[in-house]
Amino acid sequence: MRYYLRKFGFYLAALWAAVTLNFFIPRMMPGDPVSILMAKLQQRGGSVNPEARRAYELLLGTDTGEPLARQYLSYLGNMLHGDFGISVSAYPVPVSEVIATSLPWTVVLVGIATVLSVLVGTGLGMLVGWRRGTWLDALVPATTVLAAVPYFWLALVLVAVLGSALGWFPLIGGYDVDFTPGWNLDFLGSAVHHGVLPALTIVISSVGGWLLGMRNMMVSTLSEDYVLTATAKGLPNRRVMIWYAARNAALPSIAGFAISLGFVVAGSIVTEQVFSYPGIGSKLLEAVQNNDYALMQGIFLVTTVAVLGANLVVDLLYSVIDPRTRAGANA
Amino acid sequence: MSMKTPRAFTRVAAGFAASIVVAGCSSSAGAPGQAAGASSGAGGSAGASKPLVVYTGATGDIQPIFNPYLPGSLGGGGMIFESLFFYNIVRNEAPRPRLGESFSWNDDGTELSITLRSGVNWSDGRPFTAKDVVFTLNMIAKYKALNNTGYRGKATATDDTHVVIKFDEPSFLDGPQILGRIWIVPEHKWKDFPDPTKEQLREAVGTGPYLVDDLKPQAFTLKANPGYRDGEPAVKKIRFPSLSGNQSGATALKAGQIDWQTGPVPDIANVEQSYPGYKLIITPLNQMVMDTCANADLGCKGPQTDPAVRQAMYYAVNRTQLNALAFENTSAEISPSMALVQRDQAVMSGRLQNKVAPMQPDPAKAQQILESAGYAKGADGIYAKDGKPVKLTLKTVAGWTDYITAADTLSQQLAKSGIKVTAQQLSYNEWAGARQRGDFQLMLDSLFQGPAADPFYVYSYFYSTDSTDKVGGAAGNNVSRFSDPEVDKALAELKKIDISDTAPRQPYFDTIQTRIEQAMPYIPLLTQGTINIYNAGKFTGWPAKEDLYAFPAAWQAPDASEIYLRLKPTGK
Repeated sequence: MRYYLRKFGFYLAALWAAVTLNFFIPRMMPGDPVSILMAKLQQRGGSVNPEARRAYELLLGTDTGEPLARQYLSYLGNMLHGDFGISVSAYPVPVSEVIATSLPWTVVLVGIATVLSVLVGTGLGMLVGWRRGTWLDALVPATTVLAAVPYFWLALVLVAVLGSALGWFPLIGGYDVDFTPGWNLDFLGSAVHHGVLPALTIVISSVGGWLLGMRNMMVSTLSEDYVLTATAKGLPNRRVMIWYAARNAALPSIAGFAISLGFVVAGSIVTEQVFSYPGIGSKLLEAVQNNDYALMQGIFLVTTVAVLGANLVVDLLYSVIDPRTRAGANA
Repeated sequence: MSMKTPRAFTRVAAGFAASIVVAGCSSSAGAPGQAAGASSGAGGSAGASKPLVVYTGATGDIQPIFNPYLPGSLGGGGMIFESLFFYNIVRNEAPRPRLGESFSWNDDGTELSITLRSGVNWSDGRPFTAKDVVFTLNMIAKYKALNNTGYRGKATATDDTHVVIKFDEPSFLDGPQILGRIWIVPEHKWKDFPDPTKEQLREAVGTGPYLVDDLKPQAFTLKANPGYRDGEPAVKKIRFPSLSGNQSGATALKAGQIDWQTGPVPDIANVEQSYPGYKLIITPLNQMVMDTCANADLGCKGPQTDPAVRQAMYYAVNRTQLNALAFENTSAEISPSMALVQRDQAVMSGRLQNKVAPMQPDPAKAQQILESAGYAKGADGIYAKDGKPVKLTLKTVAGWTDYITAADTLSQQLAKSGIKVTAQQLSYNEWAGARQRGDFQLMLDSLFQGPAADPFYVYSYFYSTDSTDKVGGAAGNNVSRFSDPEVDKALAELKKIDISDTAPRQPYFDTIQTRIEQAMPYIPLLTQGTINIYNAGKFTGWPAKEDLYAFPAAWQAPDASEIYLRLKPTGK
């Protein structure tokens, strides 16, 4: 039990540290939301007369004149209540509403892409490791090259070939705007259709890492005595590969998977930019560009909680699948 | 990348994307079933014409905000809500009636009488009256956060079609703001809002030509108002998609998914060949300048505080080359009087040294100005005075590739005249902050116009002592810290004269223009062209160079509404 208490304590401390940093870091950024809004309206050719500036300062005013310490305390209180404030860049829409509209897109797209990438990468890695020294080894450099190609470029090439030239997939957006979002076949079909290309780019560019890691672990696991014993016992190759070698070799990949699950929530900013995908990554970028503190804090908090949560779950799971990690606590 | 104004930043990326797209394109048709352009008639409205698709530069999820007084409001003024009159900022002409019919000032500019149109209805069927106008004006007077026009009057309705606004001081020049930029809202709907500054207004009732049709996070659609007083507009639906910036704008344009976009596209010279059916219009409006922190009295430091250095830079610049290298020749001439070269011809002072800034450099003149001010060339070829070399830093925004190219071009051009300028790139937020605090020597920037076709607004925004502050403080628009009592006095006098009364205004314009030509706190470079690409095959009636009935820019309100009202679908 002490093991679990210690874990929870650690995660609570990490959460507090993250929330605190989350409060201070945006406030160290140069500029303020009103100047940025003004400069932006002006850059677009609008007239930004002095009166408009004054009105927007009153409207969006972040300078409440309160001392920082008190701002911090009321911030902590609001966070506990789940009140993230009002988004300045989409005034007067509450931050929670902004996040709620974009989060599902990212979670589904990046989530499915990550799971696919891990499954494909680990599976292939297992095979390549098992049959090391055969032509399958060529898969390692091939996928690593794809991972090394700048993601932006890879995405553009896929868009040019599959989207523009062959016309198999739409170029941009999360769904066809003719359909109404909701649980209807038209919309879901269109969302899947729009999601394939972005998901494909994520899988292609990340599968190499999983493959390489799994293959290397496989190779070192295969030299273990218990694998030799299992083979000597005359167990079928398939059983040795999956239940003796792969099961142990996959442990680091599971830890890696947990961490990448957390990052699913943070979104893939570049993917969402290239495909104009309506997810949380593009929201975060927008928030930073507009000095929208409330929105930034909201998104960071959601991300932090997701990363910490995913880690906690895996930490706990890990103690189930690998009993060695809780040995100290049981002793 | 989704900065709303990445004109430049994404230009390279966009060019890159488009060139791949072109290279990989086996047929000129776009991919089937694509987002914005597909009109499969999913709504079931058979025979409905295709919507006009307009990209305003919107990025991210669209939030349902229709309150016209909030910065993120959708649709813009003139679409759902209307002003009383329309002021054309690109052509010197009389304001056109919208909800108003006529207006007049008393002699000293303290009383504005407005006659409204009769027989106008709100989109819910209730009649529009003078009470709605008074309600709107009182509301923005009460809620300062909504008062983005600086309205300071007291309004009363004398009957259903007459409103009188009284002011404490002469307010002729507030007229265009009040008449042209205040959106009239219905009293019967708005009087119940506890706090209109926090009202999103998901359901909007207005008098304008368009109504809300449909809103999704990726696009919103407006539909024609069948009860519009001048008849239902010919363009039945207008859709505004949200993309991730100009790069996806270029992609969508290439696929024929967008009918109107404001902003640069790759290879501007050949737009009409690369996008069949599309046409281009470039309107010079914003004046591109080098901001200088000019006023040593307010704390500016560096060689640029000497007017001679600013003058020398003005003559040393090769504007033709700058236009070609950095702006694909889309920019136009600029006047050192900061009046617009074509629009403001009539008020340009005859006492100016140059009515138009020379497009070719004049190194001899630059040399003569510097040397007669006591500068001498050092061993390194750079001018210096009292041991201080003329070395300056020019700040630009990282990612705005056209401005970065311009900065590099300028530093090479100025080096030839013995002025060393080093370009420095900052993040957008740092740049905006430095500009406001006066923490710069030179900055690439542009000056914008006011609510009417009159140079008064540029002078009052950028040259008046009221809108500046000492270095370190937060300046308004006058970031150069320029301050000249004579200019301030002339501005104050101009406020007392009716805009249409041209003769008595001219002496004051003469004063301002000659003073700022001498002092030159903003070094004029070029007048930047606003680039529009529009589908002339699907719709007719677009503004043309010969008929600029409104400033063409998809994001400009209420000009865009004037354009939608004149467009006609060709049925193609």
